[in-house]
Order: sequence, then C-alpha cells, then structure tokens
Amino acid sequence: MNNARLMHGMHVVLTFLLLIIVTLPIISLVVGAFTQQMPWPRLWPEYWSLRAWEYMISPTSDVGVAIWTSLSIAAAVTVINILLAVPVADALSRYSFAGKTWIEVLLYAPIIIPAFVSVMGIHITFLRLGLTDTSFGVMLAHIAPSLPYMIRALMISFGTLGFEWEEQGRMLGARRMQRFRHIVLPHILPGIVVGSGLSMLVSLSQYLITFLIGGGQVITIPILLFPFASGGDPNIAAAYTLVFAGLAAAALWGLDVLLNMYYRRR
Amino acid sequence: MNILRVSGLTKTYKETKGNDSFSIRLGNLEIQEGESFAILGPSGCGKTTLLKCIAGLLPPDEGLIWIGDENITSLPPEKREFGMVFQQPLLFPHMTVIENVGFGLKMQRVGKKERRAAAQAVLAAVGLSGYDSRYPNELSGGQQQRVAVARAIVSKPRLLLMDEPFSALDPGIRGEMRQLVRDIHKQFRITMLLVTHDQDEAFELADRIAIMHNGEILQTGIPTEVYMKPNHPFVARFIGSSNVIQGECHQGEFRSNQLHIKLPTKDEVPSGPGWLVIRSELFRSVSSLEEWQLKGVLIDVKFRQGYYQLQVDIGSMTLHMLESMPDNRIPQVGETLFLSLDSSQLHYIPAIE
Repeated sequence: MNNARLMHGMHVVLTFLLLIIVTLPIISLVVGAFTQQMPWPRLWPEYWSLRAWEYMISPTSDVGVAIWTSLSIAAAVTVINILLAVPVADALSRYSFAGKTWIEVLLYAPIIIPAFVSVMGIHITFLRLGLTDTSFGVMLAHIAPSLPYMIRALMISFGTLGFEWEEQGRMLGARRMQRFRHIVLPHILPGIVVGSGLSMLVSLSQYLITFLIGGGQVITIPILLFPFASGGDPNIAAAYTLVFAGLAAAALWGLDVLLNMYYRRR
Repeated sequence: MNILRVSGLTKTYKETKGNDSFSIRLGNLEIQEGESFAILGPSGCGKTTLLKCIAGLLPPDEGLIWIGDENITSLPPEKREFGMVFQQPLLFPHMTVIENVGFGLKMQRVGKKERRAAAQAVLAAVGLSGYDSRYPNELSGGQQQRVAVARAIVSKPRLLLMDEPFSALDPGIRGEMRQLVRDIHKQFRITMLLVTHDQDEAFELADRIAIMHNGEILQTGIPTEVYMKPNHPFVARFIGSSNVIQGECHQGEFRSNQLHIKLPTKDEVPSGPGWLVIRSELFRSVSSLEEWQLKGVLIDVKFRQGYYQLQVDIGSMTLHMLESMPDNRIPQVGETLFLSLDSSQLHYIPAIE
C-alpha cells in the first residue's frame, strides 16, 4: 500500500518535472517572439511587440518560399527513402548473406559520423555534376542522414514478418506484386509511417548540408533561422523557431491523417 | 485426368550451423483424382519438405512432378492452382473473414459479387455462416482453421495440400475438424494430400497412406493393409504394433531369443532373419484350464474406453496386448495371465539384404 502511494508520489513529481523541462523553453520562446527586447535580468518583457512577425510576413523575409522548399524537399526525401529502404530493410532483416554486417555498418554510418565529413565529399562530386545550388542536389544530400532511420524502422517491421505469410499468398495464387501490395505492405505500414516521420524531421532540420550544397540559393527554414539565432536578432529567431516547430508538427499530423484515411478505407 | 505423379524426387539440405545434413529421396508417388492421401511419419522425416516441393515452395534437386499430362516441376506455386492449409491458420489479420476467403479469387481477378457468393458458399460448408465481417482475432483457433480450410478450397484447387493442419488445436476440436475435412472431401471431391505425424488422423482421413522415415517412403497402401501387413519393422512400430520381435524364420517356425512360435502355413513364409509382428489385439487371456500358449505376469494396466491396455512379462520379454475382459473382471497388476494367440494373423517381415 505504502509502496504504491510512494510510487504514485514519484510519478506526480516526475511528470511535473518533465512538464517544466519541456514547457519552460517553449514559454520563453513564445514570449521572445512577441517582444522587442528583454534586458537582463528581467524575466518578463516590459511591453509586447509584433515586430518579429511583421518582419516575417513582409516580402523581404522569403518565409513562404522557405516553408515550401523545406516541405517539398522533406517530402521528396521521404518518398525516395521509402523506395530505397523497403528492399534494403527486407534483405537485412530477413535474409542472411555474406558481408551483411559490413553493409549494415555502412548504412548506419551517417548517424554516427558527423554530416560534415560526408558532405565535403558529396560537395566535390556535386560540383562536378553541377548539382550544387539546386533543390534537387540538396534533396539528394538529405538522403544520407535520413535513410538510416527509415531503414531501422522498416527492419523492425520486416523482422516480425515471417515468410509463411507470403508462402500462403503464393498458394492462393498471388504474384509478386500482389503479395507485396496485399500482404507485405499492410504489415510494414506502421514502420513506413514511423520511418517517414523521422525522415521528414531529419530533413527539415538539416542546416549544414543545405547550406553547403545549396550554396545559399536553396532557402529552407533552418537557413533563414540560423543568422538570426547566431546573434542577429533573437526575437526573429524565436519567431522562426515557432514556425519551424509548427512545420514539423504539421508534417507529423499530415502523416497521421494519411494513415487514418488508409485504415478507414479498409 | 488430374493425377498427381511425383517421380525420382530428391532434395538435400547441406549441413549448416546447428542442422545436420538431411535429404529426401522418393521413388514414385501417384495420387488419383479425388483421392485422399496421407503421408505419415515422425517429425523430422522430411514429410513437410516433400509437401513443400510438391507445392512448389521448395525447388527439388532432382525429379519430376506431373499433374495429368502437365509437367509442373518448374511452375511457380502461384500458378499451380493448388490449395494449402498450413499448421497455423495464417489468416491475413487486416482482412475480414470474407475477404480472407475471397483472397484467392481476388488474385484471379474474379469480380466482387461473384467472390462474395463463392466465399459465402464455402463458409457455409465449414459451418461459419454469418461470420463474414469478423476479423481473424475475433475467432477461436478452431474457427480460424476452418476459415483457412474454406480459403484453400474456394477456388476449386486441383490438389489440396495440408501440412499438420490440426496439430495446433485442442484435442476435442481436432476430432471435429477431421470430421469436417471428411465431409468436405466427400462434398467437393477434392484430391487431398495430407501430411501428419498423427496415426489416428491419417487412418481417419486417408484412402491411402504412405509411411515416411528418414526421407524415404517405406510403404504405401490402404490403411488396413499398412496396419495388417507392414513391410518394415519401423512401419509396424510406428503405426502401433507394439510387439515387433527380431529373430529368424526357418521352415515356417519363428525363433528368437525369447520366443518360438509356429507361423501359419497358408502364406509362404520365406526363411531367414526378420521380424515377427504380433499386433496387440491378437492375444486373448484364457483360464489355465483352456489351451494356452504363453504365460506371464501382468505388470501394467491401463484402462481405455471399453478395453484394457496390458503389459505382460513372460520372463524373457514384455508383451503388449489389448483385452476387453469379457467376464467384467478388473485385471490386477501382479496376477498371472494365460494367453492364447490367434496365430493365423501373425505377420513376418523378412529382412532385406
């Protein structure tokens, strides 16, 4: 009894702590976005201001273009990741072959090795191919850091899909594409959604790769945000951060809606 | 027309981590149209491998598989028009019962209405009318397997394959399912090939049985023939003859270290080493005043519905017998039994050199 009460107490305290940790920065962010300046050591602004937002909706800010570029690059990256990761994850999680461990290490390397390292090589190659300063080039470069997450999520899905389901499908006359569509796809769909969410978020938050490959010509939200955050204007940076957070939330929500539509149709 | 013929089929697995090398070697196997055929063998004898080769899920190393005049050896399973029921129901979890049953027809691009009608007809045949829109997780194990059977037969397969279809079910439901498969076999006249390790299942469902051991078929025949006249001591033991005694036959008389028995003279019994099979129901317990051939001490009694399973120690060995105890006496461990033997039904298996 006592133990249960203690556990409950700890539960309450931990939940409260977590809420503070998560909400405090957001509060200061929101406050920062709606004020002019907040001289130290004040915790609350003297007066409110919409200056940051006025700047953002002004035509000089490029924010509309940046949102569109960010989202379209993230979406394209995700689609390509799905197409690449499905066969890769299937092979890695359900088949055994020589050199499998090395291929896995290679595929996960972008998570561990700093993006800067691979981008230098990619940059030189893209310069030769004429892909720098283009959205297409940026999109290709975003695949490296985001693909491992998609592969990982799909490998878990494939790991729980035994071959017997496809064998049953074959005995019922289903050809390869029919088996994929009616048996494999419904099973790995949750993995695709999780991987897509991660892939979108990773792509949306790329700064360095976008900056180097895009050469300042491809404007995404992080590209706009960075100069303000690194000393220019913390209020505008705060406003951009909110836009960015909204974008990420909208992307995840959109995936959720798509998934629900799929399940309702069934 | 749709006779299944398998000839010279071999399949070898190389030794891998944790698995010994293993191979099946098959002479000839022929299953008539409309026949119900069982391959019976202990686990690990290769019967599932054989079934998967016939299904097309595993490529055989050698050998040919024919359906009628069509050589299907290299035809992929999805084009063989076979049905298969696995040990697990394997119903697609995201589809309702009716969608599961109609899946095969959908793959053949049969229209929705037609599909629905056909699926409902077979669902009625397996006793699951009204379950159309349930999902598999809302069904019991037995019901799921019924749906799996319905799904396998809805597109009128040329051959229905079953791999230990009821072994994952409770014993009570197993009996029901056997009856269901018997009924369906009669109703739809489907050619059936069943693989099982369960003698009762094979004897109940099959017109003919093949006994498989270590990758080879030892004997093929109708159930009574396999039971009465096994051609190999393994067959005799596996289908339940508990008294298989190794010895030698000479001029119609069987001798082993334990027994001397005169064999019936109506069959010509070849001389030489071999095994004598005494089915456990051939013994009868008699009073000491009557004619008896063997005397022993009762060491174990098991009561089964309507009869007893007894073990009698005759000094040199233990005999297994079935006895219905006509005088309603309950046999007691430790008592002395006098046995007579119906020697006209003794069976002798000569050793193959």
